[in-house]
Amino acid sequence: MPDLSPILAVIGALIPLECMQAGFMQRAMLGLLLLAPMTAAMGVQVINLRMAFFSDAISHSAFAGIALGALFSVHPHWSMPLLGVAVGIGIVAIGRHSMLSSDTVIGVFFAAVTAGGIALVSRDPSLARDTQIFLYGDILTIADVDLLQLGGLLLLFSAFQILAFNRILYICINPDLAEVHRVKVWAYQYVFAALLALVVIFSVWAMGVLLVTAMLIVPAATARNLARSSGTMFWWAVGISVSSAVGGLLLSAHQSIRTATGATIILISFTWFLVSFVPVALRKEKAR
Amino acid sequence: MEPAECTDCGQKRGDLCRHDPKTTAICFDDVSVNFGGVQVLDSVTARIPRGGCTCIVGPNGAGKTTLLMTLLGKISHSGAVRIGSTPDGRAARVGYVPQRLAFDRGMPLTVMEFLAMGSQRRPLWLGISSDIRERATRLLEMVGAGALARRRVGALSGGELQRVLLALAFQQDPDLLILDEPAAGVDFRGGQIFCELLENLRAEHGFTQVMVTHDLGLAASHATYAILLNGRVIAEGNPTVTLNPENLTRAFGTHMGGAVIGPLSHSCGCEGTGAGNA
Repeated sequence: MPDLSPILAVIGALIPLECMQAGFMQRAMLGLLLLAPMTAAMGVQVINLRMAFFSDAISHSAFAGIALGALFSVHPHWSMPLLGVAVGIGIVAIGRHSMLSSDTVIGVFFAAVTAGGIALVSRDPSLARDTQIFLYGDILTIADVDLLQLGGLLLLFSAFQILAFNRILYICINPDLAEVHRVKVWAYQYVFAALLALVVIFSVWAMGVLLVTAMLIVPAATARNLARSSGTMFWWAVGISVSSAVGGLLLSAHQSIRTATGATIILISFTWFLVSFVPVALRKEKAR
Repeated sequence: MEPAECTDCGQKRGDLCRHDPKTTAICFDDVSVNFGGVQVLDSVTARIPRGGCTCIVGPNGAGKTTLLMTLLGKISHSGAVRIGSTPDGRAARVGYVPQRLAFDRGMPLTVMEFLAMGSQRRPLWLGISSDIRERATRLLEMVGAGALARRRVGALSGGELQRVLLALAFQQDPDLLILDEPAAGVDFRGGQIFCELLENLRAEHGFTQVMVTHDLGLAASHATYAILLNGRVIAEGNPTVTLNPENLTRAFGTHMGGAVIGPLSHSCGCEGTGAGNA
């Protein structure tokens, strides 16, 4: 396995705070720096495609993922992403081939994965403690192997965003029009759903089931207030997400604050969100 | 009319289309569509000639848009829809201008980005290349929307959006331009100007234009070929012949029988300006 210690040492040197000299903090920082741009970019598309509920359903499959992993003695780091991707693809497939509205299909899957998770966990009380961790997330316990997985995902993700961003935007605007104009809508929908499922599941480890969707949509919603074009919205979202993640980790580690990291990150990006209404109000005033 | 038999070439159900591909762009061959027990299209057999402007005309609920959807391959149907290849042998490229674009108007997206997203692979967050920018500007000027490049798509008026959608369709360099109710959502004068613009563009680029409309005035003044539809084909052919009072009565009901429309009014010597929007 590649040695991450040089990268961690650079992070420690770049942020010369006492708290950042601990290995677990350096790992947490690296994890967030890998994760935050992905959730931000995905968030832009999630709010354009109105898929917030979809990401909620995927995050709730985490419990069933852990439980299934325990049942078949597969490590949760594999069982969770596998189940998440399967649920994501299942939602798209059923949505495409039935007359039901997409939120209905997602609601049904949401119920199924949550019930499945509870049923499996209830058989085995020792699992209940593990699931607690996933409810709130814990970026501070992230291990080198997780960081490598995140790095791999970021590479895959970047390739997808570079090749598919414009086509996904076409589909956001109107899938029928995109299809007539020779965009392979179905292929993009499946790949997007699978990738979103992976990003969500990886975020569950850091942010917890309860806060994953916030990590996706709060920076993107803020960016939407601030940006006037699609290109700038992307960069605003990435900037807000990364700054909230870094700020959240540092604040949560501060002696006098000591809050849960995931929640602190979301609170900072929510502050960004409130601030983003100032330029909106100013623009309105100007237009008057 | 025998439903399973084409009026033009006498082709039977299941036969290969015998229309001359040099003169025919699209064949509808015994196309039927059934939505949950309701027969929306009943054995529609018709042709769309190459070049020119074919209007699919009929009252609300006649299945006009449904016929268009079969052409775009968006709904399942029985029978066959054949889009002929171009004279030089490649598959026809399609440009589509929908009636109302259902999209999120709050989305931050400029008109320039809107055009670039269809033609540029490089993601918009890495900027728009100067080639693509130039091409988009040319397309916008072509449809009389040169001033809109920097505007937000969500802030455009109905008529402005229609022109931008036309530019997007032209980006496909279409052999076949399909428009759904181009006069709906814009005022009468706006619809007229838009159709004149299309006529000029057609003269210049030589595409086949297919237009769905319930506006008889529009069809009468701009169509070179008309398909009169009400669940099934009532008549097809030259609009001055097809859109006669007898056929219109069959398509639209009794009160349309005496209507005189657009240029047709001159052929019968009356001074009426026409029924306009039916």
